[in-house]
Amino acid sequence: MIQSIRDFFRGFLLLELLQGLALTGSYLFRRKLTVRYPEEKAPLSPRFRGLHALRRYPNGEERCIGCKLCEAVCPAQAITIETAQREDGTRRTTRYDIDMTKCIYCGFCEESCPVDSIVETAIYEYHGETRGDLHYTKEMLLAVGDRYEESIARDRAKDSAYR
Amino acid sequence: MSAMLKLEVDGREVEVPPGSTVMDAATQLGIFVPHFCYHKKLSIAANCRMCLVHVEKAPKPLPACATPATEGMKVWTQSAQAKQAQNGVMELLLINHPLDCPICDQGGECQLQDIAVGYGASESRYTEPKRVVMHKSMGALISAEEMTRCIHCTRCVRFGQEIAGVMELGMIGRGEHSEIVAFVGKSVDSELSGNMIDICPVGALTSKPFRYSARTWELSRRKSVAPHDSLGSNLIVQSKGSTVMRVVPLENEDLNECWISDRDRFSYEGLNAPDRLTQPMIRQGGTLKEVDWQTALEHAAKLLSDVRDQHGAAALGLLASPQSTLEELHLAQQLMRGLGSENIDFRLRQRDFSADGKRSGIPWLGMKVADIGRLDRVLIIGSYLRKDHPLLANRFRQAAKRNQEVNLVHVASDDPLIKLKTKLVVAPSDLPAALSRIVAAVAELKKLPRPAGITNLAIDEPSRAIAGSLVSGGSTAIFLGSTAEQHPEAARLHALAQEIALLCGAKVGFFGTAANSVGGYLANCVPGGAKGLNARAMLEAPRKAYVLLNLEPELDCHDPAAAMRAVKSADCVVALSSFRTRATEYAQVLLPVAPFTETSGSFVNTEGIRQSFNAVVKPLGEARPAWKVLRVLANNLGIPGFDFDSSESVRDVACRTADIPARLDNGISGIDLATAAGANQPASNALERIADVPIYFADAIVRRAESLQQTKDSREPRATMSPATAAKLGLSSGDSVRVRQGDGEAVVVLNLDEELPQNCVRLATAHPACSGLGPMFGEVSVERAG
Amino acid sequence: MADIRNYTLNFGPQHPAAHGVLRLVLELDGEVVQRADPHIGMLHRATEKLVEHKTYLQALPYMDRLDYMSMMANEHAYCLAIEKLLGLQVPVRAQYIRVMFDEITRLLNHLLWLGAHAIDCGAMTVFLYAFRERETLLDCYEAVSGARLHAAYYRPGGVYRDLPDSMPQYEASKFRNRQKLSDLNENRQGTLLDFIADFTDKFPKYVDEYEQLLTNNRIWKQRTVGIGVVSPERALAMGLSGPMLRGSGIEWDLRRKQPYEVYDLLEFDIPVGVNGDCYDRYLCRINEMRQSNRIVRQCVEWLRTHPGPVITDNHKIAPPSRVQMKTSMEDLIHHFKLFTEGFHVPEGETYAAIEHPKGEFGIYLISDGANKPYRLKIRAPGYAHLSALDEVARGHMIADVVAIIGTLDIVFGEIDR
Repeated sequence: MIQSIRDFFRGFLLLELLQGLALTGSYLFRRKLTVRYPEEKAPLSPRFRGLHALRRYPNGEERCIGCKLCEAVCPAQAITIETAQREDGTRRTTRYDIDMTKCIYCGFCEESCPVDSIVETAIYEYHGETRGDLHYTKEMLLAVGDRYEESIARDRAKDSAYR
Repeated sequence: MSAMLKLEVDGREVEVPPGSTVMDAATQLGIFVPHFCYHKKLSIAANCRMCLVHVEKAPKPLPACATPATEGMKVWTQSAQAKQAQNGVMELLLINHPLDCPICDQGGECQLQDIAVGYGASESRYTEPKRVVMHKSMGALISAEEMTRCIHCTRCVRFGQEIAGVMELGMIGRGEHSEIVAFVGKSVDSELSGNMIDICPVGALTSKPFRYSARTWELSRRKSVAPHDSLGSNLIVQSKGSTVMRVVPLENEDLNECWISDRDRFSYEGLNAPDRLTQPMIRQGGTLKEVDWQTALEHAAKLLSDVRDQHGAAALGLLASPQSTLEELHLAQQLMRGLGSENIDFRLRQRDFSADGKRSGIPWLGMKVADIGRLDRVLIIGSYLRKDHPLLANRFRQAAKRNQEVNLVHVASDDPLIKLKTKLVVAPSDLPAALSRIVAAVAELKKLPRPAGITNLAIDEPSRAIAGSLVSGGSTAIFLGSTAEQHPEAARLHALAQEIALLCGAKVGFFGTAANSVGGYLANCVPGGAKGLNARAMLEAPRKAYVLLNLEPELDCHDPAAAMRAVKSADCVVALSSFRTRATEYAQVLLPVAPFTETSGSFVNTEGIRQSFNAVVKPLGEARPAWKVLRVLANNLGIPGFDFDSSESVRDVACRTADIPARLDNGISGIDLATAAGANQPASNALERIADVPIYFADAIVRRAESLQQTKDSREPRATMSPATAAKLGLSSGDSVRVRQGDGEAVVVLNLDEELPQNCVRLATAHPACSGLGPMFGEVSVERAG
Repeated sequence: MADIRNYTLNFGPQHPAAHGVLRLVLELDGEVVQRADPHIGMLHRATEKLVEHKTYLQALPYMDRLDYMSMMANEHAYCLAIEKLLGLQVPVRAQYIRVMFDEITRLLNHLLWLGAHAIDCGAMTVFLYAFRERETLLDCYEAVSGARLHAAYYRPGGVYRDLPDSMPQYEASKFRNRQKLSDLNENRQGTLLDFIADFTDKFPKYVDEYEQLLTNNRIWKQRTVGIGVVSPERALAMGLSGPMLRGSGIEWDLRRKQPYEVYDLLEFDIPVGVNGDCYDRYLCRINEMRQSNRIVRQCVEWLRTHPGPVITDNHKIAPPSRVQMKTSMEDLIHHFKLFTEGFHVPEGETYAAIEHPKGEFGIYLISDGANKPYRLKIRAPGYAHLSALDEVARGHMIADVVAIIGTLDIVFGEIDR
């Protein structure tokens, strides 16, 4: 009996609605959580899997030896490699293409690479205006690697203990 | 038959014949025992120790490959002891193995990898530095750049000794210093050397042409049949996209066992040679220009019908290469017969056609290939066995090691690497006489009358030895090789061989010269009627128009000079070819046709087995399967009976498998055995030519295979003669000499060979350097050049 | 007189409340649903067929993309199935990590469900708050796996990498002074476990906030109470599982009934409903979030004190570490073979199911001994739930259909698969 009277008044006074309003109202005065992209960016884990890059050794020699493990393990078959013997007798790729539209960014290529050549960088801001723009060739991948080598190496170093 | 042995492997009972090993017993049960050095076709070395198994009452694990099976034996391949042994051996083998997997061509098809994952530990305890072995040079076909990978199973060494018949590799050093090496300064030149790549369980010996080009998992595999010799080796052709990447054997115990020759293995490089013909071409105003198929075919049809209308059907001739498929040969001859001409032939390197019409069937091997090993006594007449039929040679080699006596009568001294009972080298002109002497000797031994025509012949010692060998065995066979078939008196040689066979109860067989030497007859690609001209007649009496199927006349014919004269003088040559051959000089129409990897078709091998295959890859460029081209050409010419929609339907019209055996027969009759004295003797001061077809110049594809062309067998041909002959001419070894034959000449280096008959010069045909010369056996003159 | 016919309405596939690409054909009598006929298949990617042509490892990322709201949970069922066939023992630490991330995944899923369900019914704010928490949890995902959604983190034999010892931090910008920056990075000073622990401390308060906004709200109750009632018998008969089943009062939770990993060592309760309506299921899920938070907390405590391997040391299944791979022959061979041929799974068949946020998610796997599954069947809870839609929605008003779709918690990645 008393309960039903109490419920009536609660309902009548819109109590639960006012409680909800009070909660949302209180957020007006709390710290903002949003970040102002692109001037400000959310933190990125060193394990982040973004755009691919092909790395070089410090002496400028490309790391990739054309073993094709990444091509073999790629679940989406996004990687196309052709290999041949270079003049100095080493095994090298003559073609290394990644179709970013096929890629599922699983990171298996990086896991499989025995020479740390193909890596997934922390770059997520890239785009293509046509389909073909997202077809990365060996030159493009090497260029990404050259440009971001510092951050790539830093991220690998941070995570090396876990791999 | 002694009693079978009963033993138990992994708790399962099995019966094996005495003399079997534990490995055999396990294999019979389908139990895989890991191994590296053991190979079913090679002798047992038991040096890898991978196949250690646990045997009851044995104090230590025993190698399954070298342990004889005994009655009541109990073997465990998976017990703790066996596993520990396998684990230990694997660790030992990997101690010095370099971390090469990512760059190793064997990666993915490596037995070491597979067995390491299947039977080895998953971690290494070894931290010390690894040994390094210097790379070796083994010629153009085998890459031995990373001999550090070698695990010393010695399969390659044993293969050389036992299968190839020549020890070209050996192991030096002991323990950690062991190395596989070739003889100092020598390369591996065996015509079977490629099989070492297959049997090498690791990546130490890999294929040089294939090096770094693809991974095993990227390749799609299709079955095919080798087009280069008459054995019809079964192949697995591996391709990536529309390119053939490599060729490996498909095991067929009845034909090629688990081997293939280097010619079959590496010829794929020629398939994509830079001079592949990829667009139809017609000659207009003296120059060739590329056109579409319709234009080219209509033009060809018009030219051919014009010649027929102006000069009659007999002015047309068809020359087809015996490497063409059965379907192509059938359609080509049907096309020619539809035009009204009987001038059809595929026996391009044959000289003597007098046996035509006198044979009782199609010449063939006379037995199954597998039966060669069961023969007791063999006489081989005129064959460069090792180079012409590398795997048939292996059959004889293995049999000769058991109890087969192989006798060879030949015109050249090449070592077949077979243990020979008797070897007789005679001049080509003396070959019929030599055989006659053997006939006489056999008749004498058998106390039978000499056949008619073999009279008053003195029997010499070698003949007696050969005859003695032939009559002493249970099953005997006489084989005629390519030289015997190409000989100017081929029919007589055939008849003489038959006489020997009749006298000693032997079989007669032909090795055959090309993939379809039997198939060409089956497809009826031979002159018909009384007026039909054979290959020789067609070239000696030039026709007005030729249809050329897959051939290069200057290289594929018995008489290159005559062939070139004939095609150059013709009004019209329609060449169906995979390559831009010298036909660009004389052909009016060039039609690009697909080589064997790009078309479906069939080869009938020398044993009479029809083997069909499908295309492995798409035809290159505008090339099309020749059977389709011929079909449309015939349609354009309005010839009926060409409504085929698949190569299978052509094949079934050309010949049905069931009909083949009845048509094979090596019998011959009506040949005069008597040799007119001096009939073939050249003029007293002239020299006689002995021509062989170098192994890697046998057909258009092989001639364009880059790596094969860098081997020792492909070097510039040399003129070879006996020292006495050379002395008579005032020449010495290493001289540059000019060899003249007819109007043609070739300048080559002189070699001396003591075993070669007097007054003979051996000089290869089918090589561009000799394409100006005349017939394979004929008079030549030699003089110092320059 | 003209025929009176029911009005047919196409609901979706581009309706915002259709939760993806559901095309629902509604037969209406006025505004009352006579029949609700879901048409599916628009997100079909043939996952089951595709994985028959992928090695076991290659098929793993495909699992993320089934229920793309609970990525790691899908991977978990797949890994369990493989491990069952292989007879593989997973290190205990890996089991705890998996349980922890399963529960984080449950939170992620329920938060999204809550936000979406509320927004479907007209409550905007909850969606924003729920995504705030999701952001934190997705940072955990990213910290361990490198991806915020498609993690590919669980592996047959354990998990790919151990939890990181540090969290990435916000960097200074012109919008924030040092004080503001250090406030922002306050919970990112320690390890990932500290970060998660901090979250678990705060999260119950957040759940209170959601409840403050919804539980007693009259509009919310009007939209959900008595809507989509499923009797316990029918719930069982229709193959419902997870909160859909528990909302009807049946206490069934695989974590308790068929414990896998370390669930039997952890304390948590199974909330059940009474009436089997949308409101009860809402309460169940809210309560499950609190329980999940409890489990995560327990896992964090355990993981802090028990270092160890996170993936099996059997390199026939799991690749060796980078250092080992580059220095030892055996390891290089195993690395090479695992990434090309993959491991072989012994012949046999198995079914492994987990208590997925949405219900029982199972993988039925048949192996013929090869390196690829012979057949893989995915038992997706959403599929059974969606097929119950017709029965549940019949007789309701058209607006209630939205609430019912919301309560089913369907995701088309797993239904169409």
